[in-house]
Amino acid sequence: MITRLSHATLFVNDQDKAYDFYVTKLGFQVKTDASLPNGFRWLTVTAPEQPDLEISLLSPLTGEMGYDEETRNAFTVLLEKGALGAGVLYTPDCRASYEELKAKGVVFKSEPKEQFYGIEAVITDGCGNWFSMTQTK
Amino acid sequence: MISGCSEVYVFNFNMTTLSPDIYERLVNAKVFIDDHFEESLHLATISLRANMSVFHFHRLFTKVYRITPHQYLTKKRLGKARQLLSTGSLNISVVCTDIGFESHGSFSTLFKKYQGLSPQSYRDNALQKQQRATANPLQVIPNCFLTPEISKK
Repeated sequence: MITRLSHATLFVNDQDKAYDFYVTKLGFQVKTDASLPNGFRWLTVTAPEQPDLEISLLSPLTGEMGYDEETRNAFTVLLEKGALGAGVLYTPDCRASYEELKAKGVVFKSEPKEQFYGIEAVITDGCGNWFSMTQTK
Repeated sequence: MISGCSEVYVFNFNMTTLSPDIYERLVNAKVFIDDHFEESLHLATISLRANMSVFHFHRLFTKVYRITPHQYLTKKRLGKARQLLSTGSLNISVVCTDIGFESHGSFSTLFKKYQGLSPQSYRDNALQKQQRATANPLQVIPNCFLTPEISKK
């Protein structure tokens, strides 16, 4: 019986940049940071109030994950475009988080706006992904 | 000085919105906590950063962040404590004072309350996990991520 999601993968084009965004800027905590001799790096982080869901920040662009060149090239294009919508990040106050993260240099695709379901801004991680940052009603 | 019109609330979609100026001031205060939580901080000092009275600041901060300033400060300190305990070799008393607690006893009690483990047990667990990950990373990395055949199918 499957009872919960314990890990979710987020593909990023640069794990060091991803570390800076998720840990330094968003305040996520590093759960595991382990590397293999071949360069594969297993980096997982957790959101402050969700310590049991590990987000693995993986780079599909290096050979260690086993993707062939064609697949890696496709990932490169998508990540460079920042085309991957990765999910919804909850915040208790969208406008406050927007002001704070903007001051830290985080790039937004859109400012906080009233939506039917709450207040939403669209945030980018600078590593290929964007998220809805939402204060739900 | 707080101007009256900067505190106008707009009710929309059943959500209360504060003015941009208020947000900026609250964020300034929050960032001040982020940057100075290791020091002895009092609510009066923090609310000054927001240019608000203690009462007004406490009310608005709690409204926006759904946590009181004091709870947020405690969270920041305990987060730093977890980091220091799991990555460094500092004596626990030093960790306690480095993150702004004045009493080792109150730090240990609070840490155990939030973390479910004493600072020493937390450190022991974290170091064991770290040593395992360093000595044998394959014990902590799900094998499917290392199996090229899976990504090719």
